[in-house]
Amino acid sequence: MLTIRELVKRYRDGTRANDGISLSVEAGEVVGLLGHNGAGKTTLINQVAGLVVPTSGTIRVDGCDPVAEPARARRVVSVMPQGHAPLTGVTPRQAIRTMARIRGLDKRAAAERTGELIDALDLGKWADTTGERLSGGIRRLTAYGMAAAEPGRVAMLDEPTNDVDPVRRRLLWRQIRELADRGHAVLLVTHNVVEAERSVDRIVVMGAGKVMAEGTAAQLRSRAPGDLRLELTAALPDRLPELPAHLPVEGPPLLTSRRMAVPIASGAASTALAWAQELRDAGHIDEFALLPVGLEDVYLQLVGGEDTPGGPGTEEGEKDDSLVA
Amino acid sequence: MTHWLRSYGLLLGWTALRSRATLPLNLVIQTCLAVGIIVGFAYLVPEMDDATALYLATGAPVLGLITVGMVIGPQEVASSKQEGIFDFNRSLPVPRSALIASDATIALLTALPGMVAALVVAGLRFDLDLDISPLVLPAVLLTAFTAIGLGYGIGYGMAPPVARLMSQLVVFVALMFSPITFPASRLPDWFESVHTVLPFQYMAEAVRDTLATPADGVSGLPFAVLAAWTLGGFLLTHRVITRRP
Repeated sequence: MLTIRELVKRYRDGTRANDGISLSVEAGEVVGLLGHNGAGKTTLINQVAGLVVPTSGTIRVDGCDPVAEPARARRVVSVMPQGHAPLTGVTPRQAIRTMARIRGLDKRAAAERTGELIDALDLGKWADTTGERLSGGIRRLTAYGMAAAEPGRVAMLDEPTNDVDPVRRRLLWRQIRELADRGHAVLLVTHNVVEAERSVDRIVVMGAGKVMAEGTAAQLRSRAPGDLRLELTAALPDRLPELPAHLPVEGPPLLTSRRMAVPIASGAASTALAWAQELRDAGHIDEFALLPVGLEDVYLQLVGGEDTPGGPGTEEGEKDDSLVA
Repeated sequence: MTHWLRSYGLLLGWTALRSRATLPLNLVIQTCLAVGIIVGFAYLVPEMDDATALYLATGAPVLGLITVGMVIGPQEVASSKQEGIFDFNRSLPVPRSALIASDATIALLTALPGMVAALVVAGLRFDLDLDISPLVLPAVLLTAFTAIGLGYGIGYGMAPPVARLMSQLVVFVALMFSPITFPASRLPDWFESVHTVLPFQYMAEAVRDTLATPADGVSGLPFAVLAAWTLGGFLLTHRVITRRP
């Protein structure tokens, strides 16, 4: 349904926002696009929607080339933008219904679909309140409704669950799944790795304008060293212990503040647990846990490290030292 | 064409819904502005003869239209760019020209009541003897669309902070230095010739001559110049909206 081949977008200032992206989304499929800020996700969406012209590469949406036929591309895809939808002076019901009409439904079908979305997302209480009096989460859900009312062939949702409360978040995911079940292709940008792991069919990890990994959550998880990780939490970052020689580890430990995650194979589980128990008994750590490898571990390995140039866990200590000096 | 008309109608409803909240305030401000020009400018002129009264009475509604189109217009566009509404609108499956047309229609509807109020007040204040030509309708529409088209041109063609400054400059020039509420002959020669190119003088002339038709009839020149400016403004707007980086 959506096919992207070797897509490159270089802006006039030389930034390569997309640098050879290839991916596809089939009808009935939800694909999650993961990546940190500035990874090129929104640029990718804008090119598919025919709002930005690629430097090279090809895009096909339901057989339509958004470069040659931008007007048709806008009918075939619907976009839920990252920013807030324009809702000042407009109620969720009016906004969703108008978008359904603009996207081609007749009056009755638009009203029906609007009612359906309002019920499904539990928006009834706010359905007739104007935008400026709505919370960020409700506005976000309304924006979803505006894109999903009559989504065309491909729905592209840019961070749909931001600001949404946990209960409605589940409702929203159910709706996104239903969109795919109705035969639409869904491309969804998110920062929430845990949610993506649970709710999408396939994940594409983007970094610096490139696709860094692609596959189902299970396929991506298999890239991680070991199949378990031992998590230790110390009272202070500098209290985290050295790894003992007798514990067979599958890779370097990942440090985040006062937490250490050590990748291990399942055969080493009992050794690891015994060591962790000793550490806790001796008061070196507060708590520990043995967990299956999650997508977040893989994701951090793929794109992580850029946020903590000084090395994890060292910043606090250095700050304290400089204060003393 | 059906798609265009359907899109235009739906967008019109959508824009009307969104501007409903600010519409009453907009109307009040414009009416006050137009009335204020008539009452206030009269203080500047100690002896009001018929010619001066005519200039003030017909110039005030023109200034009202300029304010709506070239001041409020660019400021709204600047905000819509900064709030992401511009990008949202661009992603809608509607013809770009229908998007511009629906916005312009709402702007026009917003501007007209203030203009009528100004005329009524002027009639009461100056006891004018008007000779209204049927051409007043195209004159008012062209004047309004010139202001709106140029306002959009400024708003869409310039970065938001620059557009805001520019709109202030426009209202300053229009109010104080344009032959709208006084004859062009009072200006220095060089400035008078600048105004043969700018649209302000023609806006005033079109409206004045159709409200109080001169003996030698209504001249076609102002209509032609205004049509050219309108076209330029809307073409620039269309180009910016359809531009794909």
